[in-house]
Amino acid sequence: MKAAKLAKVAPFLAGGLALAGALACLLPPGMVRGFDLDGFARLPVLEGGRLKPIDSVARNALLLIRSQQSFRHGERTVGADEWLLDVMFRPQVADAQPVFVINDPDVLGLIGLRQTSDRYFPFMALAPYLDEIQRQAQAAHPVDSRQRTRFQAAIVNLFDRIYLYYRLRNTVQLAGTPGLAAEIAARSDPDATERHQALVQLAYFRPLLPASGQSPDAWRSVGEALRGAGAGPLDPGLGPWARLAAAYAAQDSESFNRAAEDVRGTITSARPGAQRHADHEIAFNRAEPFYAGMVIYILALLALFASWLSMPAVLQPVSFALLSSGAIVHTTGLISRILLQGRPPVTNLYSSAVFVGWVAVILGVVLERMYRRGFGTAVAAASGFASLLVAHHLAGEGDTMEMMRAVLDSNFWLATHVVTITIGYSGTFLAGALAIGYVLRRHIATRHDPSTTKALVSMTYGVICFALFFSFVGTVLGGIWADQSWGRFWGWDPKENGALLIVLWNAIILHARWGGYVQEKGIMAMAIFGNVITSLSWFGVNMLGVGLHSYGFMDKAFWALSAFIASQLAIIGFCLLPRQFWKPRAVAARERAPEPAPKTA
Amino acid sequence: MKTRISSLLWDALTSLKLSIVCLAMLMVLVVACTLAQVSLGTLAAVNLFIRSFFIWWAVPGTGWSIAVFPGGAMVGLVLALNLVAAQAKRLELSWKKAGLWIIHAGLILLFAGEFVTSAFQVETRLAIEEGQTLDYVESPRDLELAVVDTTDPHQDDVHAIPESLLVRGGSFDVPGTPLSFTVKRFFRNADFSTRGPTDPPSPATTGVGPGVTVRELPPVTSDEEINRSGAYVEPVAGGRSYGTWLVSNALGAPQAFVHEGRKYVLAMRPRRYYLPYSLTLKEFRHDVYPGTDIPKNFSSLVRLTNPEQREERDVLIYMNQPLRYDGKAFYQASFGKGDTLSVLQVVENPGWLLPYISCVLVTSGLLVHFAFSLGRSLKRRHAALEA
Repeated sequence: MKAAKLAKVAPFLAGGLALAGALACLLPPGMVRGFDLDGFARLPVLEGGRLKPIDSVARNALLLIRSQQSFRHGERTVGADEWLLDVMFRPQVADAQPVFVINDPDVLGLIGLRQTSDRYFPFMALAPYLDEIQRQAQAAHPVDSRQRTRFQAAIVNLFDRIYLYYRLRNTVQLAGTPGLAAEIAARSDPDATERHQALVQLAYFRPLLPASGQSPDAWRSVGEALRGAGAGPLDPGLGPWARLAAAYAAQDSESFNRAAEDVRGTITSARPGAQRHADHEIAFNRAEPFYAGMVIYILALLALFASWLSMPAVLQPVSFALLSSGAIVHTTGLISRILLQGRPPVTNLYSSAVFVGWVAVILGVVLERMYRRGFGTAVAAASGFASLLVAHHLAGEGDTMEMMRAVLDSNFWLATHVVTITIGYSGTFLAGALAIGYVLRRHIATRHDPSTTKALVSMTYGVICFALFFSFVGTVLGGIWADQSWGRFWGWDPKENGALLIVLWNAIILHARWGGYVQEKGIMAMAIFGNVITSLSWFGVNMLGVGLHSYGFMDKAFWALSAFIASQLAIIGFCLLPRQFWKPRAVAARERAPEPAPKTA
Repeated sequence: MKTRISSLLWDALTSLKLSIVCLAMLMVLVVACTLAQVSLGTLAAVNLFIRSFFIWWAVPGTGWSIAVFPGGAMVGLVLALNLVAAQAKRLELSWKKAGLWIIHAGLILLFAGEFVTSAFQVETRLAIEEGQTLDYVESPRDLELAVVDTTDPHQDDVHAIPESLLVRGGSFDVPGTPLSFTVKRFFRNADFSTRGPTDPPSPATTGVGPGVTVRELPPVTSDEEINRSGAYVEPVAGGRSYGTWLVSNALGAPQAFVHEGRKYVLAMRPRRYYLPYSLTLKEFRHDVYPGTDIPKNFSSLVRLTNPEQREERDVLIYMNQPLRYDGKAFYQASFGKGDTLSVLQVVENPGWLLPYISCVLVTSGLLVHFAFSLGRSLKRRHAALEA
């Protein structure tokens, strides 16, 4: 009686707790040393062509420079917003913070350092070598980015990060000058023009509202506002920014909080929409829904594993409830992104990973409702977790909501071609994941249960049909888009070819099955090979231009991809092992069926 | 015996195994073509692997080439035949198989479309500056030697000699003129530099040629580069030679000679195709997102004038929005000269509609077929549950 009650309550409890945990991240952080960092972080600015809260600028900049969104320094954790304030208004403090991550031993050698376990260096440590870094980077710059040596790629990368840091320091006021207030007072001095020009050129973001009568995205940098003002009326945003800068430099938290409030006041009165957008995005930044989803998926997976050991009646529903909570968080994040960007869900590699995971999870939930054997949950949670992990690693290149280049600027085609083809990827991966589940089960499970095996096989078959449909339609829609945009239906471009390979492979699996040339094991092995093909056409073709000498993110991804492919081939090997290696042996002998000989083992 | 062989052949042609082998070969070709693009460029790789009947391998040390693998055209053809034959033999005409029928019909159409494209598609371009009016498109990959009679100040009389004649060499007459030409040497791709004191003398005797040294280069492979071709040609008229000239698309200087009071300008240039209408570029726009150099939009506002049709109207050509007119489609492709030059890609493909029809067919076929299968499988599950 008690157990039955527990089985009823536990799923709701687990799912609810997971959702509550994800929601808790939305709470704004408290004051830091009396400073209302939240008030500052929410200020909308224009950067990279789009409106975003200053928090996004800070996070992405720190992510680019340090590959993390916060860091420990001294006794405490410094968040991105506080770091940005230090960079802009207390450079002497920021310069001592170890934010530059340097891994390349040759670059370290160039600046007279040895490779140690500490890979993070403050700007101060780099400052004496700036000329040399710049000289080396400029020498490497004309070399095509794909032809650069490891050192060249690393030095260009370091130089770009130093330049970003330098621009941040000189966005609101020029570093080494008395500050924005003094700049405003001296704005009509004859030598001010040069400084205004520097501020215009270096500004990393634009914090001031467009002048009246200008287009709504013509936000202005401090330099532009100063240059235009002359002795005439000032931009109403400049005064509060000057007070904010001075208050932070003096560490006067009360004035700082008032000044931040005033900056926001100028914006909300003129452009309430901008503030709402920034508030939405900052909530998205804080909630990190895809990170939270990843954690919940792994919990669901753990609960499911536990259910195979004991208490299946309680733990299996718990794991499904956790999966559902993860799906809710994931979906909310996805919708949030769509609203923020005003775009369909897939706009770049990062968002394709998020979307692939989402489709796999939703399909897994459907399969679980249809078959109720825990396999839908297992496969959905594992694919959701894996793809969000991939997305997490793809996010290191800065803003994941960058503006779309002209040719991609078509919501219609992004919504049709890109979304369909990504669903096709997702389906192929899900079929592969189901097949992996099948192989593991046959090698690990102690009980043989033919009906579960049959269910798995029919799930895999159904998902392959699904994948073929979406990858074919997506591929052809891509061709039609290409025909619309540059007059070639099919250009045999690597990305197109990758999509075609997925279609061909799925077609081969289905025809081989219909012709009876492969049985259960063969189909499963082929489905797993689908993972290899999909990963190659998803990521592999992006690396085609990357030679052996190149270094950087895609190089790391290359090894990750190779490891993934090797693992899939190993599993295919396991799948094709002859019967005597399978568990449980006693049953296997009884139902031996004619099967093609294994090709690899 | 004869019937046995033909029935064996028929069985082979209609077998599902053949379809699978063809699909697998297509995968191999697609992978090879993709990898080869890194070194060969897209066009060469596609011609080598996809638009060929066999992949040839030149045996080192001998002059022989042997076919080592069927090319894309061959595989595509066999697959299409197999599809048609199997359809006729195996697939019964029934509602249950309706989906499969539609899918395969759509696929055959898709293959046909790709064959039509590779055989008939003509790609040209139109590079036009703001304010300029042009009534021709150019083919950047083919050249011609234009002999332009500019005697009449109101109208040029253009005589074009195609590149193929220059490649062949020898002498030929230019129809409609008293001129004949002798091609002394042709370079597919070369480097042109000012002749130094130590360079060997130039075969050219007149024009800019004597001051230029030509070094032959291998033809370019990348899709972004174009060949800098050149030729030494000697015009002859009325039994009189007008000297040996160096003509090249890399040399800008106009070169001309006068024969019996008529002035002939020589120019090697991208091959031109004249249109029965003209286009005037009124405005080119290249917008970027504020504070970035990410392009937001490219667009060309052109005036289309077709006196025959009494048409005169403005057209805005922008990304994903080509102008389709008179069998040709004009796409915004590139730009230059400080945003005053717009480059339009011009494509003429009689089969452009086939993939659209095929897409609709296959999509609906797949939907019908999988819906049938799903329905059957659900029915079976239902029956199993009730039993």
